[in-house]
Amino acid sequence: MIVYIIKRIAAAIATLLVIMAVTFFLMNAIPGSPFLTEKSTPKQIELANAKYGLDKPLIVQFKNYVVNYLKGDLGTSLKMQEGTPVKNIIFHQGKFALSIKLGISALVLAIAVGIPLGCIAAYRRGGALDGFLRVVTTVGVAIPTFVLATLLLILFAVKLEWAPTISGSLTDFRSCVLPVISMSFYYTCYIAKLMRTSMLDAINQDYIRTARAKGVKTRSIVLKHALRNSLIPVITYLGPVIAGIITGSFVIESTFAIPGLGKYYVQCVLSRDYPIIMATTVVLSALVIIMNLVVDVAYKIVDPRISLTTKED
Amino acid sequence: MKKLTALLLAGAMVVSLTACGGGSGSGESASSAASAASSAVSEASSAASEAASTSEASEPVSEAAEGPVTEGFTINACIASEPETIDPALISSVDGSAYTQHQFENLMKYAMTDEQVADDPHMKMTEIVPGQAASYTVSDDLMTYTFTLRDDIFWSDGEPVKAQDFVYAWQRVVNPDTASEYGYFLNDIVKNATAIQNGEMDATELGISAPDDKTVVIELESPCAYFLEICAFASLMPERQDVVEKGANWTDPENIVVNGPYKITEWVHDSYIVMQPNEYYYDYENLGPDNIVWWLSDSETNILQSYQGGTYQFIESFPTDMIESLQASGDCFINPYVGTYYLYLNCEKITDWRVRAAMVLSVDRDHIVEDVTQGGQVPATGLVASGILDSTGKDFAYGVSELGAVYNWLSQQYPDYDLTTYSGKCELAQELYQEAVDEGAWDPNTTVVYNFNTSDTHKAIAEACGHDWKDVLGMDITLENQEWATYTNGLGEHTFGVARLGWIADYNDPVTYLELFVTGNSYNYGLYSNTEYDEAIKTAKATLAGDERDSLLYSAEEDMFAEGGFPVCPIYYYTNIYCANGLDNMGYTPMGYFFFWYATPAE
Repeated sequence: MIVYIIKRIAAAIATLLVIMAVTFFLMNAIPGSPFLTEKSTPKQIELANAKYGLDKPLIVQFKNYVVNYLKGDLGTSLKMQEGTPVKNIIFHQGKFALSIKLGISALVLAIAVGIPLGCIAAYRRGGALDGFLRVVTTVGVAIPTFVLATLLLILFAVKLEWAPTISGSLTDFRSCVLPVISMSFYYTCYIAKLMRTSMLDAINQDYIRTARAKGVKTRSIVLKHALRNSLIPVITYLGPVIAGIITGSFVIESTFAIPGLGKYYVQCVLSRDYPIIMATTVVLSALVIIMNLVVDVAYKIVDPRISLTTKED
Repeated sequence: MKKLTALLLAGAMVVSLTACGGGSGSGESASSAASAASSAVSEASSAASEAASTSEASEPVSEAAEGPVTEGFTINACIASEPETIDPALISSVDGSAYTQHQFENLMKYAMTDEQVADDPHMKMTEIVPGQAASYTVSDDLMTYTFTLRDDIFWSDGEPVKAQDFVYAWQRVVNPDTASEYGYFLNDIVKNATAIQNGEMDATELGISAPDDKTVVIELESPCAYFLEICAFASLMPERQDVVEKGANWTDPENIVVNGPYKITEWVHDSYIVMQPNEYYYDYENLGPDNIVWWLSDSETNILQSYQGGTYQFIESFPTDMIESLQASGDCFINPYVGTYYLYLNCEKITDWRVRAAMVLSVDRDHIVEDVTQGGQVPATGLVASGILDSTGKDFAYGVSELGAVYNWLSQQYPDYDLTTYSGKCELAQELYQEAVDEGAWDPNTTVVYNFNTSDTHKAIAEACGHDWKDVLGMDITLENQEWATYTNGLGEHTFGVARLGWIADYNDPVTYLELFVTGNSYNYGLYSNTEYDEAIKTAKATLAGDERDSLLYSAEEDMFAEGGFPVCPIYYYTNIYCANGLDNMGYTPMGYFFFWYATPAE
């Protein structure tokens, strides 16, 4: 297991390097410059390029990125917060933490609600509750997040005044409720659907029939035997979701005026803020790689039969 | 291929929710999110109430839970999202300038007059008066301005404001190492500015000097009709060298030292900026609000909801389709805003002037402002935006005739057509177009490419124009949209047939527009070239305000819309739309800045 993890970390570093290279050359292949505006003259752009070292050959610029990253220096923003170190924007202004907080809360809610709902729906297959849940989850998967968020905002913040329109830094419970619900609703529904399917699959297995024949209580059949097996698809789904839930927070953060990182993932490309593009991509990639590792290890815990390496069985 | 890679990177992202950079006027604001949301209300309401039942919040909240703690009279305003910078030398956006105007004061300043702006009794027009300068004198040849500073001016740390602070700031903007977006601003105006920008001279050679602590002397390259306006410009605000040299974070609340009425005291990035009165400001006693909270948001939906929920008292952007109902409720106002939305007609692609003239004539501008943009915009009749004044104070756009520059020459050459009506314009358009086709100067089967940057409004305007040209002239138009930075990059390559741009004036003088179409100007994307026109603009720039200059500029603009011309198709003049509630004594300039420093609660 330890050897496996070390190998994975080595692979992760190589992956990050490749990601950096691809991102760097892709973003430089896009026409335009961070300094282009309606009113900037070619001379202005030339001056600004010289000021920030963008006039150097690409390969030199790339080398500088790699060297600086190894030193822990993520560069300074060219456009979005001109002159501010990218590290400050991402970490010191609390943006990353805020997006993670929002994302994790939404994820926890999605898991905590989605898995039981899926189990119940599967167990009461064909019943009224199953039918109702099927409608709700289908709507939940179909409705775009920004529509749901706007609806919740208008209804609960403006009309009923139960929550603030500006959620800000999410320091109290009331300002968290709407963004977290808006964000997790899709995932809750998706997980419930996924769970229902895999649970159905599990409870039709022979070992469940055996357990039932032996007189084991329904409750423990579901919780002890079926649940564990049916969790695999959900866990597989969670890996990529973590990345999506953090980058996808853009709409939610914008709708509820939360000063998170979401906006920076989108706006940095549009405004050609190269250091932010690089930094957000690398930080996010690192996060996804770590989460994938965690998911792989989680497989092993859920189902000991799964081998992480070919040698280890 | 380049376009494809841009799409690859940006494609999966929610492009429709992000506004394009730069100063966006009312014509640009459109929220697909909000309109889609309202149409989906019925389908989704069951899901919303389901989800909401988990909510445990029950007490009503009227204040934002997550705001700054403030005491006394507070203005909560939202005019934009996080500014790129608030360093005066580096700002380039209208919002950045607004924050700067509140924090700093230049030799001249905008002072409130009694004149009301548009329909809002609480909004006052402003004029240029001496600010940090007590008085100024101009030499007889109009080339040297000498400002004497007030005695009672101090920085917010108690140090006196010195003439050297102005010299330092002006040199800093022009210095190429600063890479200021407004570095070119003093070119051809202040002595040596152009040479310094080109790296041929040191910044210390700039024609501004401080013979003593209280005197600023500025030498010009040639007389400038709008020089006093430049002396109030946000990018040229005084700065203290020792403060700026603390590094890029000198504008953070804990480092910044200002000389204006307000000073930033707290800044939560992407959330809000708080400003409080600067106790060292000479008119501290009379300042209005105890706090100005500038909320930073880019969600039009959230901005509107927060306004309606009572958190904000002043907002500048919200979904365009809400304008009508907001106006009906009485707190939405439309201000004049000096800007023109226009189309470049590429003179190298559409080579015959009659075809270009036909295109200019056949756009139904009333339809565009009434049905597409819906923000009270005014159909444009010239390139120079309405609100720019000539030396007698007349609106330049209507200075020669009510028809406007686009139609002056045509109405004299073709008196048989009634150019006051759209149908008359179309008839003339068809006539001119047919003439060009008959002479073989234009192949009617040519497809013209119309480029615009991705936005619902620009798309709708492009569709409206394309429809008119097809309908009236039978021209085939292909619409191509590009994401903003790719688009601006492509303009310089002159590959388009038609391309849009909006130009907001920096100062109140027709030259700010007319200069754009001079041969070799970097904004002359349509490659218009007319030596007489170039000559006229050059002469006008060196001539002081008066009848002679006015007539030079008037005839230059008319030349542009005469035989051989029509490089541009003006669509509409911008307006500035805002909602304000409970505030009185606000100030405004048609350049788009709002001033709150003497604001009071409305009765």
